[in-house]
Amino acid sequence: MRKLTLCLFSLLTIASLALGACGPAGGSASSSGPEAGASDPGALSGTISVSGAFALYPMMTVWAEEFSRLHPGVQFDVQGGGAGKGMTDAIAGAVDIGMISRSIKPEEEAQGIFWVSVTKDAVFPIISEKNPVADGVMAKGITQEVFNKIYVTGEIVTWGQVIGDPSVTDEIHVFTRSDAAGAAEQWAKYSGGKAQEDLLGVGVNGEPPMVDTVMKDPLGIGYGNLNSIFDLSGGGLVPGILIPPIDINGNGQADADETYTVKEDAFGAVATGKYPSPPARFENLATKGKPTGLVLAFIQWILTDGQQYLEAAGYVPLTAEQQAESLAKLK
Amino acid sequence: MSLIRARTDSPFRAAAAARARKDENARRAFFVITLLPVALILVISAALFVRAWPILSVYSPADLLFGKIWKPASGQFGFLPFILGTVWVTVVGLLLAVPPCILVSIYLSEYAHDRTRALAKPVLDLLAAIPPVVYGVWGLLAIVPFVDDVLAPLADRWLAAVPIFRVTQPTGFGILAGGIVLAVMIAPLIISVTFEVFLTVPNDLRHASLAVGATRWQTIRTIVLPKVMPGIVAAAALGTSRAFGETIAVLMVVGNVPNIPTSVFDTAYPLPALIANNYGEMMSIPLYDAALLGAALVLLAVVLVFNILSMLALQRMTRRT
Amino acid sequence: MNMKKNRFERRHLMEALMKALMRGSFVIVAGALGLILWTIIARGLPSLSWSMVSQVPKGGYYMGKEGGILNAIIGSAYLASGGTLLAVLLSLPIALYLKTYLGTSKWGGYVRLSLDVLWGIPSIVYGAFGFALMIMFGMRASLLAGIIVLALVELPIMTRAMDEVIRRMPADLEQAALALGSTKLEVALSVVTRQMLPGIVTAILLAFGRGIGDAASVLFTAGYTDRIPTSLMRPTASLPLAVFFQLGSPYAEVRERGYAAALILTIIVLAVSFGARFLSGRLNRYTVK
Repeated sequence: MRKLTLCLFSLLTIASLALGACGPAGGSASSSGPEAGASDPGALSGTISVSGAFALYPMMTVWAEEFSRLHPGVQFDVQGGGAGKGMTDAIAGAVDIGMISRSIKPEEEAQGIFWVSVTKDAVFPIISEKNPVADGVMAKGITQEVFNKIYVTGEIVTWGQVIGDPSVTDEIHVFTRSDAAGAAEQWAKYSGGKAQEDLLGVGVNGEPPMVDTVMKDPLGIGYGNLNSIFDLSGGGLVPGILIPPIDINGNGQADADETYTVKEDAFGAVATGKYPSPPARFENLATKGKPTGLVLAFIQWILTDGQQYLEAAGYVPLTAEQQAESLAKLK
Repeated sequence: MSLIRARTDSPFRAAAAARARKDENARRAFFVITLLPVALILVISAALFVRAWPILSVYSPADLLFGKIWKPASGQFGFLPFILGTVWVTVVGLLLAVPPCILVSIYLSEYAHDRTRALAKPVLDLLAAIPPVVYGVWGLLAIVPFVDDVLAPLADRWLAAVPIFRVTQPTGFGILAGGIVLAVMIAPLIISVTFEVFLTVPNDLRHASLAVGATRWQTIRTIVLPKVMPGIVAAAALGTSRAFGETIAVLMVVGNVPNIPTSVFDTAYPLPALIANNYGEMMSIPLYDAALLGAALVLLAVVLVFNILSMLALQRMTRRT
Repeated sequence: MNMKKNRFERRHLMEALMKALMRGSFVIVAGALGLILWTIIARGLPSLSWSMVSQVPKGGYYMGKEGGILNAIIGSAYLASGGTLLAVLLSLPIALYLKTYLGTSKWGGYVRLSLDVLWGIPSIVYGAFGFALMIMFGMRASLLAGIIVLALVELPIMTRAMDEVIRRMPADLEQAALALGSTKLEVALSVVTRQMLPGIVTAILLAFGRGIGDAASVLFTAGYTDRIPTSLMRPTASLPLAVFFQLGSPYAEVRERGYAAALILTIIVLAVSFGARFLSGRLNRYTVK
């Protein structure tokens, strides 16, 4: 009997030691180094570690897989953790690339952070299809000022005030995100606040519950990312949800290019810049110092061939000028 | 010491001495290892305190513990919403769990057949073994809709006048959902601890009572319960500390909004959820990491107090047998 | 006291009422277990597939495309095995020492109290502690860090369970061994462990089951990755986190797969639980009755 237990213990010990031995050597270095095969540019190898925004995470895993397919010697370690974690890890050199779903602050650049934009996505306001004044809202649109008064100052509290009809006294059920979210940050900036914590409203934790909640509440208003609002395979809106047009030009009515009912319209508006930024935003990749070798090759690939995978995933590809700008930055 | 030394034959004495030495060395080595549990408590407390020091040195404990506003980006670190959130969820969980669990315990120790007891053991073991994240998924799939579709409308109809039962937000997430999930999670603990405590009451007392014609329940109520009350309180204290620290399951159903609760249908943001949700942002905002580790320290302090007191009480009770 | 054998006397009604309440409570508790299992199976089974347990996530996995959670299954297996092994190496000596040398001493009381207290510390505090250490030593999220923190979480559970079992050691066996001239060490290693083996194994498996399912401790310390871990110093995925992350996705297919992952986790934990029971039954062969 003792032999059996001894064998089991030894097996487990050996297994754990083997794990330690057969991995890439050196745990304190951030990766096994961006070793580009200098002689043959096609044969890249090494490991790239990435962490950061959940918003970019699904896309990064797609990019990682496609890139590894082209360069079988390259492996990826991709983690989520939020934009904050990505920035922290990038500054600390704990990862090669940080996914940052917001703009980079000057203090962060001062710590040596170099960044490029690789895609765009956008936050849209949402209301329920069952909203009693849905038609009015869809016809008139909502201006940035009104959003400010709903979400930051709290001056506007009824749907009647939104469409300019004092007879409608239904109160607005304002929803915001309670978890730290890039989408919330963007919406806050657009609505005139400084940060997510300035947004008023009942907090909902997570994006799917936010969309769900607004869908079910006729008097609700909220916001969400492109890929939560549009059904990416079909191209239409998620059933039950409407995007109240943002009255961008302030003319008091919802123009055709301000109204989005299918994915292409929304994508187009974001890509061309018609849709304001914020709440549209560039998704950025951050590195400590200018990237070189393998990491550079990967980011360059993302900015060129990698862009083809974006639309299907719900992200907006960069325009040709934006691509060129980012590539030029990398030189 | 063993009887080895009594023998006088030399070859045996050498071997015996060797074995005795081995015994002595092992004793010393093992003793060092037993220092570990005690040391661990001290080290954990110290480490958390050191990491939380930056914020403790800037804000007074009163500011932190009783501050109502949580806006770290603006430097405001008021923990009160989170502390109250934890308290509300824990209290609801306890209120839902303790009475039925005591009843089940009484049933198992005083009334049940051996067969029922044999059935109960695996049920309780399984409930205790189910991982918290699975409880969270169950809460998400079964309890949140239940609160939303059944309990909230009922409360709206019958209890709207009572402030703590007022339905204040349209989702099923909130303190009630968290409390229900917690109640099921701490049930096995409370049942098994109170069961042990009931077993400590000597049977002669019971038999004496029954002999003079009392019903079983009368016996329990008048003789057994008073004796085991400290044990029940201790069990409840253990359940409290467990509920206080439960992270994942509660996080998934409680709503995670930092407001001060006024109703069981409110959403809340318990301390463990605060730590778990925000660890990613910890390093980007100044003092945020100290604040979160300070929250962990508060959690540790509360749990330690409850645990030490109840463990002492229980050890004393169960050692009497 | 009224000695009339009147069946509708108040106290008899009370007795009947309390019995009904008790039975009802028992049904509720057992029913809760049934409801939990039913919910998880009903929602998880439709999305369960062979590829979920045999593949790692492919590129589009988090948007609903192919792949599975093999990375998390193996990651959790490594985490829990490593953590349990480390914990056993510490728990067994402590438990044996408590029995052999500290049966009634004051220090033994302190150690036992400490263990009980450690047992009650929530795993998020262990995780925060681990994280604090990681920052201090400049370590990054890795399998090793996760293993160490899990070992800390499992240590009190395992030791307490072992202690409970070892205390029930029949005194006559022990005394017989001592009378024959064994040292205390030899008694502990040869006699006690063998006799208490079923209980010890149960304690180990109990802690192992806990280790597989615990999310709060590995959240900060083990990181996450889509690959199967090949080194102690790299991050690793874990089943509870796999469930948690998938549930937060905007894509319904990914959320459904999260439920399936929860089902997989539940099945594994149930298997370990039943395995413990079975194994301890088999190991009773080696005990003296």
